[in-house]
Amino acid sequence: MELSRVRELNRAADLLRLRAVRMVAPHGFGYLGQVLSSAELMAVVFAESFRPGTDELVVSPGHYIIVAYAAGPELGLLSEGELTTYGYDGSSLEAIGTESSPVADITGGSLGQGLSSAVGLALAAQLRHETSRRVFALLSDGELEEGQVWEAAMFAAHRGLDNLIVLLDANDSQVDGPVSSITTLDPIADKWESFGWAAYDVDGHDVASIADALGQAIAQSRPAIIIARTSTARGLSCLPEGADGHFIKISGDLIDAAVAELEARRA
Amino acid sequence: MHNLPPYPTVLKPYGRAFVELARDREEILCLSGDLTRQTEIDLFQEEFPDRFIHAGMAEANMISMAGALARRGFIPFVHTFGVFATRRPLDQIVNCVAYPNLPVRIVGFMPGVSSPGGPSHQAIDDVALMRALPNMTVVDVADATEIRQAVVAICDVPGPVYLRLKRGEIPIIFGARHQFSLVRAHVIDDGDDVVIFASGMMLSSALAAAQTLEDAGVSVGVVNVPVIKPLDRTTVIEMASRARAVVTAENHSVIGGLGSAVAEVLAEEGLGRRLRRVGLADTFAEGAQSATWLFKKYGLSTQDVVDASWEVLGRDGVAPQAPVLVTPPGEYAPV
Repeated sequence: MELSRVRELNRAADLLRLRAVRMVAPHGFGYLGQVLSSAELMAVVFAESFRPGTDELVVSPGHYIIVAYAAGPELGLLSEGELTTYGYDGSSLEAIGTESSPVADITGGSLGQGLSSAVGLALAAQLRHETSRRVFALLSDGELEEGQVWEAAMFAAHRGLDNLIVLLDANDSQVDGPVSSITTLDPIADKWESFGWAAYDVDGHDVASIADALGQAIAQSRPAIIIARTSTARGLSCLPEGADGHFIKISGDLIDAAVAELEARRA
Repeated sequence: MHNLPPYPTVLKPYGRAFVELARDREEILCLSGDLTRQTEIDLFQEEFPDRFIHAGMAEANMISMAGALARRGFIPFVHTFGVFATRRPLDQIVNCVAYPNLPVRIVGFMPGVSSPGGPSHQAIDDVALMRALPNMTVVDVADATEIRQAVVAICDVPGPVYLRLKRGEIPIIFGARHQFSLVRAHVIDDGDDVVIFASGMMLSSALAAAQTLEDAGVSVGVVNVPVIKPLDRTTVIEMASRARAVVTAENHSVIGGLGSAVAEVLAEEGLGRRLRRVGLADTFAEGAQSATWLFKKYGLSTQDVVDASWEVLGRDGVAPQAPVLVTPPGEYAPV
């Protein structure tokens, strides 16, 4: 990948972070860590692969919907002004995705169900012979603790759903702490490979690696998963040590510092 | 017109009606949770293999997938036993089907204690679970004639439907002129003393009980309530107002099903009618080789409907005894 493209994609990732900081800031806390970890992954998907109107997006962990909102203006699906309503009473931009959430085709707050929904969309495309349509499903690593994910994984491979791509934000974060301290998920790639999937284990903050894996995943003749190894603290050095990545508190001077840091890097 | 038991029976009325419907409706998909023959959809699989989807023993995935397929213009009919169709994937039904209000048809076989398969296989709370969900329509039909009509009727309901079906030999209670309605409950008999509201497999018990009570001088109304949600409140109010007491009969727990739905209407309308609910008395059902034995042990027999009616009316003496019906092979009579 050309250096200029790397720089563009990194700027796009930081734009997602900046928008997320601005959405969360008025409330003092929120699902910012999820954007910090998945920013590069989703920036690359939206810039390189996702075709609005043709492809479909499932955001399985509903609290990750904030990253889809953040990408909404570039996709032409949301205005910058609408983003300011995030999380307020009466807004369709609820902090945990609902049926009214824009940008994503399906989202869900009860974890572990989104892959099955994505499989349903991919199966619909297969039954209709819509061969160019791709279904992208954003999942989090904590969700792999849910058994339904593996039901869906088996079914997708059995049906040969090569139009299905899972984007796994492996940020090692769940409510009670690091995923790895609660359930051993690794070797994640081996698990999916053994279920009949193509698996790509990449540095989830390296846009060139992500883009390369995405290209290969799309070309596969079986369902594919990008395992993006990430951190919920990535891209904001101003955050205090040991901040709770699942639900980051941010107020006062910290907001100003975060905005300044991101704007400086995007300049 | 309805017959009295024992009734002639047919096999696979659902499976046949479903194939007929699917012939004209290409958007119908058939999903199976590894109980294809048991849920009568081997017929569909033979006829439309490309629209038949083996989901395997993975009900959570099956329901969530069905929701997504429905979003893309298909009408998925999902099949397994009632327990596995409702209790196991409840959260998936809530989030992937009921909340998005999608036209998924969840077809659950083997209701209540019609299975001697133990509590793991007995759908005694399926109606309660489905009735509690916003957008859900809940249907528990009584005979083959209604099944054939209900399959067609539910196809175009805009939201989700739970269809509860007896497995195996299905009695024919109603003639060809019977009309199943998603809106109106079906008044079979008028009566001034007690009115019995019954659904599904307990309708035949209610009809047999009514005959025994009438013979003993009790005026009995019988209402077939195949659609438990949305409940036909008008008919419940009208019929209950006319009678002195009310009995409900369902092959289900007395909590949350037909009995509860009728009780809610009686209370909300301030009708002040005494009520007895025939059904599973908040218990799991164990220890059976046969469904017949379970119906007796857990108070779901014709005699139990007679006794409940007699008692709720405050009649003196022993309740009249329902005749023991001899059921030739291939015919059906309630316990």
